[in-house]
Amino acid sequence: MADETRSGLDAVEAGPAGSEDGLAPDAASGLPVPEHPTVSALRARFGDAVLRHEVGARDQHVVFIEPSRNVEVLGWLKEDPAQDYAFLSDVTAVDYGGGRPLQVVYQLFSLTHHRTLRVKCELPVTALEVDSLAPLWKTADWLEREVYDLFGIRFRGHPDLRRILMPENYAEGHPLRKDFPLRGRFSRAEQTRRALAQEVENFYIPLEMDLGREPQLPAARESGSDPADQA
Amino acid sequence: MGLTDRKLPGGGTSARSGGLFGAGGPTFLTTKLDFIVNWGRRSSLWPMPFGTACCAIEMMASAGSDYDVSRFGMERFSFSPRQADVLICAGRVPYKLAPVLRRTWDQMLQPKWAISMGACASSGGVFDNYSMVQGIDTIIPVDVYIPGCPPRPEALIYGLMMIQEKIRQESLAEHFDNRAEDPEAVARPRADDQEVGALTGPFGNSTRQNRVSGLVQTDRVSRPEDRLP
Repeated sequence: MADETRSGLDAVEAGPAGSEDGLAPDAASGLPVPEHPTVSALRARFGDAVLRHEVGARDQHVVFIEPSRNVEVLGWLKEDPAQDYAFLSDVTAVDYGGGRPLQVVYQLFSLTHHRTLRVKCELPVTALEVDSLAPLWKTADWLEREVYDLFGIRFRGHPDLRRILMPENYAEGHPLRKDFPLRGRFSRAEQTRRALAQEVENFYIPLEMDLGREPQLPAARESGSDPADQA
Repeated sequence: MGLTDRKLPGGGTSARSGGLFGAGGPTFLTTKLDFIVNWGRRSSLWPMPFGTACCAIEMMASAGSDYDVSRFGMERFSFSPRQADVLICAGRVPYKLAPVLRRTWDQMLQPKWAISMGACASSGGVFDNYSMVQGIDTIIPVDVYIPGCPPRPEALIYGLMMIQEKIRQESLAEHFDNRAEDPEAVARPRADDQEVGALTGPFGNSTRQNRVSGLVQTDRVSRPEDRLP
């Protein structure tokens, strides 16, 4: 019997397995896939903004939405009392390579209803831009910075979109893209030279730099009297 | 390469050629002085722990009561580089941390020594990728490389004893030859471009580091009891 399981690099080349109807019986167990109430509610409310619905691992529901309406859809998922996805667990991205679109992944969790939902936006490699969710969830700030740093996806309206993991002076691109060479683009000598050219002080915000300086007594500061003046 | 540079900062001459302790060969005074100074140095080595990964767990274990590195005079792990004698780099060092490691090394006072503990610090280990320094000997001069993933505390203690042995063989007459650092080397890579390329090629460092370190003698077997004065 031929091995029909796609694994390893073949699976990467083939891209993600699609299940257009999404609600077919689970292939492994044959059991029916449980309905997800949010998915039908999303279809009813947003209609054509919901592009696709996939189910993985029997009960992990993935909803593909129109990238241009991500703030609208995710804002509704957060605010609507019947959904109440107040907790944005993760923002990340996937690159399946081969010129396929990059996927921005939003992992949501509803504390009141105890439900999880994964929302994805597919962005073509020529236009890697999507609206920022930082106004909705504070945690999206750093998570979107990480996605920008490692995948090069720009988030419109982000308050502070700059690298978060790689050094500030990193100029080799975005390392988690599939077209990025494993050892980087520069030679090791150039990488070492650039690394040592970093200013260590730039790792800290001004407040943290002040913490290392000589402490001032509060009394002396408030009264404004300098010992040199009294002498 | 700062440590092996024979040119002294300030344009002076080394003690050996200047005759501060007698012209040329060692005298009774210098050998006795060497013995006392080296005894003091090697018996009170304070480590500067630069622990970034699982090797640091073994380093902490070697400081605990089971292995008790303070038997060898490393009574206190000095978290200030100004008061430390030997830097123990335990764990992988990404390029973002490289200037911190170099700054810590520059802040340590002479005489100072460095230990590269574990596969990642010595050669990058399995992390042969875009973000990881392929051996800290491209950043700072290293005296002893300890193999292992991670090395056991016995290995770290053996490496520290190798440092002690190195100190025992040092002479004050060669102090400036051994210890003078070129000011231009501060905050610079230790190795030049060609050497970085040779050290950091795929599997490069693991086959070359013994020779590059110049410490490992392959022609004779030396046991710890041979090292006692």
